[in-house]
Amino acid sequence: MTLNVARLIFTMRLLHWPDGTRVRVFVLPDADPLHQEFAKRSLDLYPRQLRRVWDRHLFSGAGAIPVEVSSVEEMLRRVAETPGAVGYLPDGLARGEVRVVNVQ
Amino acid sequence: MSSSRIFRVLLPGLALMCCCSSLVSAGGFDEVEVHGFATQGFIKTSANSFFGDSEDGSFEFTELGVNASMDATEDIRLSGQLLSRRAGEMYSGTPSIDFALADFTVRSTENDNFGIMLGRIKNPLGLFNETRDVAFTRPGFLVPQVVYYDKVRNLILSADGLAARMSTFSELANVSLYLAAGQPLTDENVEYVYLGSGYEGDFSPDGLSYIGRVLVEKPDGTVRASLSIASTSMKFERGASDPIGNGGVSLVYGIGSLQCVVNDWTFTSEYMQEPIEWRGFVGSPLAGKEATGESYYFQAAWQARTDVEVMIRYGEGYADRADHSGVRIEQATGGAIPAHTQYSKIATAGIRWDVSSQLMVRAEYQRHNGTLILSNRENPVPAATVPDWDMFALSVSYRF
Repeated sequence: MTLNVARLIFTMRLLHWPDGTRVRVFVLPDADPLHQEFAKRSLDLYPRQLRRVWDRHLFSGAGAIPVEVSSVEEMLRRVAETPGAVGYLPDGLARGEVRVVNVQ
Repeated sequence: MSSSRIFRVLLPGLALMCCCSSLVSAGGFDEVEVHGFATQGFIKTSANSFFGDSEDGSFEFTELGVNASMDATEDIRLSGQLLSRRAGEMYSGTPSIDFALADFTVRSTENDNFGIMLGRIKNPLGLFNETRDVAFTRPGFLVPQVVYYDKVRNLILSADGLAARMSTFSELANVSLYLAAGQPLTDENVEYVYLGSGYEGDFSPDGLSYIGRVLVEKPDGTVRASLSIASTSMKFERGASDPIGNGGVSLVYGIGSLQCVVNDWTFTSEYMQEPIEWRGFVGSPLAGKEATGESYYFQAAWQARTDVEVMIRYGEGYADRADHSGVRIEQATGGAIPAHTQYSKIATAGIRWDVSSQLMVRAEYQRHNGTLILSNRENPVPAATVPDWDMFALSVSYRF
């Protein structure tokens, strides 16, 4: 997955996978260190930039927002059981019916 | 690509993961998401009235909102928000439908997307109009008043109609185009601004408003530039006791916006121009009047800590770019409308503290020269307003 596509997904601009399935985005709370690390290192965005986009969508109806989960365990479970889901985890924790992809 | 194949991530420590598309299980995505916000403000001014009797300190600024959204189908998203806004004499707090719309995504790929919206849609004018009533999204205690005049808020806030949105994405830039047509909302504040007073007669939208915006963003979000325009007309049908004749007002509201993020700094500037034309109104000073409102501001905000932002802003607004000093109107009215009511020059310093992800506190100081931003509903005698004044504002906001 390219950096651009990852950014489009997490800023809720890319809403469909190539097969037409709806993209379902899962995130941890803004203050979670893993969320901050993911935003900065994998997306090269400040968490507050993501929040700005999501809040504009949420409070104007102009777009979709991610689903917030409270823990890494919930993230893994929800992504595994939701068609078209995407989220993030510390390296090595992914297991079961999820696919790990590379942002480059 | 097999769904069981594992890819190492480029950056150590983190893995981005996707659900296998072959897995089909209940995802709970038909759930309704409910969120909301509340803000209570306190305003103290050295003179003049802003959101209530602010010279004595006013708590007459309260915003409450609750919204719900859901994915009705893979392509259709429904959302709506109820808003109660109390702001001095201008807004009573009566709940209203802020937006209620169906958003249909026709196409969404990594190169472009296209969608249609139907319903009551917030107008994406400037960088902040769409969410101007949500404290967490504002660049200060309020949106910059010289560009986003509170006294004409309702006219440009939203439209009941149809919108098309389209974007193209590349590594160089994301470019979005928005076009809409709809019925605007007018209220008594708008009547006071464009007719100078409240009348018995009916001041209502005359046909559709048209709204357009072009937005260019760098993919990393560090630069956002937009040009947005709304064109609208209103008509006045006089009541039996009104001293002015029937007439119409047409205006174009255009905003150029630029925002740059440099490390912990966010720099924002917007320029607004509003050509206004009055037709009819026989027997009143409005007959044949033309004016072009003009304003701009610069803001620098520094993220001092993850939970603290400090900002400074300077802005100027003029009722008519051909009469920046306001002297012409003062002379034409024999001093009844003083020159200083025709402009506002505002220096602002403020601090935002995000106590938690749900609770935010703001404090702001503003030094004003001129009173253009004031409502004449709250300050009914122009000659009684004080040209040089200060404002101190505090607010507490909660979201869920």
